Amino acid sequence: MEIFASLLQGFATAVTPIHLLWALLGCVLGTAVGVLPGIGPAVAVAMLLPITAKVDITASMIFFAGIYYGAMYGGSTTSILLNTPGETASMVTAMEGNKMAKSGRAGAALATAAIGSFVAGTIATVIVTLFAPTVADFAVKLGPPEYFLLMVLAFTTVSAVLGQSTLRGMTSLFLGLALGLVGMDQISGQARYTGGIPELLDGIEIVLVAVGLFAVAEVLYFAMYEGRTVETQNRMSRVYMSARDWKRSIPAWLRATAIGAPFGCIPAGGTEIPTFLSYAVEKKLAKGADREEFGTTGAIEGVAGPEAANNATVTTALIPLLTLGIPTSNTTAILLGAFQNYGIQPGPQLFQNSAALVWALIASLYIGNVMLLILNLPMVKVWVQLLKIPKPQLYAGILIFATVGAYGMRQSAFDLVLLWGIGLAGVLMRRYDFPRRRWWSA
Amino acid sequence: MTQASPRNTAQTVVGALVALTGLGLAAGAFSIPGEAGYGGVGPNFLPWLVSVVLLACGVLIVREALTGGFRDLEPPSGAERAWWPGLVWVSAGLLANAALITTIGFILSCTLCYLLAVQGLRRAQGQTPGARDIAVDALSGAVISAPVYWAFTKFLAINLPGLTSTGWI
Repeated sequence: MEIFASLLQGFATAVTPIHLLWALLGCVLGTAVGVLPGIGPAVAVAMLLPITAKVDITASMIFFAGIYYGAMYGGSTTSILLNTPGETASMVTAMEGNKMAKSGRAGAALATAAIGSFVAGTIATVIVTLFAPTVADFAVKLGPPEYFLLMVLAFTTVSAVLGQSTLRGMTSLFLGLALGLVGMDQISGQARYTGGIPELLDGIEIVLVAVGLFAVAEVLYFAMYEGRTVETQNRMSRVYMSARDWKRSIPAWLRATAIGAPFGCIPAGGTEIPTFLSYAVEKKLAKGADREEFGTTGAIEGVAGPEAANNATVTTALIPLLTLGIPTSNTTAILLGAFQNYGIQPGPQLFQNSAALVWALIASLYIGNVMLLILNLPMVKVWVQLLKIPKPQLYAGILIFATVGAYGMRQSAFDLVLLWGIGLAGVLMRRYDFPRRRWWSA
Repeated sequence: MTQASPRNTAQTVVGALVALTGLGLAAGAFSIPGEAGYGGVGPNFLPWLVSVVLLACGVLIVREALTGGFRDLEPPSGAERAWWPGLVWVSAGLLANAALITTIGFILSCTLCYLLAVQGLRRAQGQTPGARDIAVDALSGAVISAPVYWAFTKFLAINLPGLTSTGWI
């Protein structure tokens, strides 16, 4: 009951016009970021972190959560309609989604992705509502040794995940640590690796690393390698699901939510595993004619499942962030930075000390999900227009936003040089398959 | 014995870069004093750890590169060979931005960055932009930069450098 009362309080804060406006702005921006190639939600939030200097914490957290969520909805539109593999999370959706779109069922694929995201997102938000306070109560009892072990667990799972090269994973992790060494040692105050450059004494901002490694590197990579890649777009069809589509989608959404939700709570490398797992489960469970659609004309379960799993994971990732202060994904790492900009350290005490903020944030997730369903179902045709923006102009425009994010942080032109350097490193890492996420999760 | 392909040579260079980073960090670690406080770990502990691990990783990567190439390598997307002028154009934009932002202000500097980058990106696609395209690009760069600048300086009161102190340009 106590939880219910707190949640109602949260809603009371979240439905004030100004907060609703921030939520809507976040959802719109997030969907746009998800639809457009080149930047993901982590980078988008990173670029907008300077607003924390002015906007109050509840509003900015609601705004950032909208971006975080919106990008997940928007991402599926691109992966279904464009025939280019994007981020790993939407890659799974693209497998069946593309096939469905090619056989004239783009609308059904988009619908199942959006509704599935809504169903999974909402169920996962309920899980956050019910369990986060319990976890926080428990987490109060954890001491430094337990936290240390949690971090060790995070690092080891992060570098052991999936069939990627452990050697390059480790290299990325330690390159990231090396970057973290630059600046003043927090304990002794000793300057390390600053090379006499005063700007480096404060260390290298994680925002700078995120923007450089993902946004700037993406632009450079396109200029160097992908200019000639020909991209084809699938035809849109009416956004509509038949009775049979519903019958096949609903169980897939629910199964995927059950698969995805636990993965958000553990630092196991983001949404890749749960989306792949959900795809595998759906393929295994499909029978007869449905089974034959996999890999041929495109099976709707293959879109419904991974999309729902993706959103469930992304939502429950807020549990470790809010209760333990441990980010389990790129975006939650940046959100952690946003909290810290306000001098608030997420962790067990957050539910006691900043209860109003936390509950407003959770309430805004429910609201955001509804907004996004509306933005992405009836209005999906509007977003599809964004895919018409030519790549050179789009990517060059991203550089302007990258400048705001990097420069707005500390007002230092030196950071823009660093941004370029990190971008170059990002190109090398992408080319030679060094996991970039690992680099900066360190 | 596998034939050394250009790809393997590049991989060797990448491994060597990692190893060099490790060596560089180790060289730097010498100058960091090591007195451990009551924590028992001095400020030079992590630098040493990181440099040793990176050196080891670098050596192992070079070994992989020389003995048949990287293991578990996901083939990179895009063209086989890099188009270097693209790198030059975009880098020129970014570095010009870094050099000029405090003197000519955010809007002009970002417009220049956009203009240079978009030239590289257009050419990467095989276009040959004419005078009219360049004018359009300059204009669209300004059309993106200016509202961004105003949103941040006027609406959010975040300090971005301007040519004047009015906050409008």
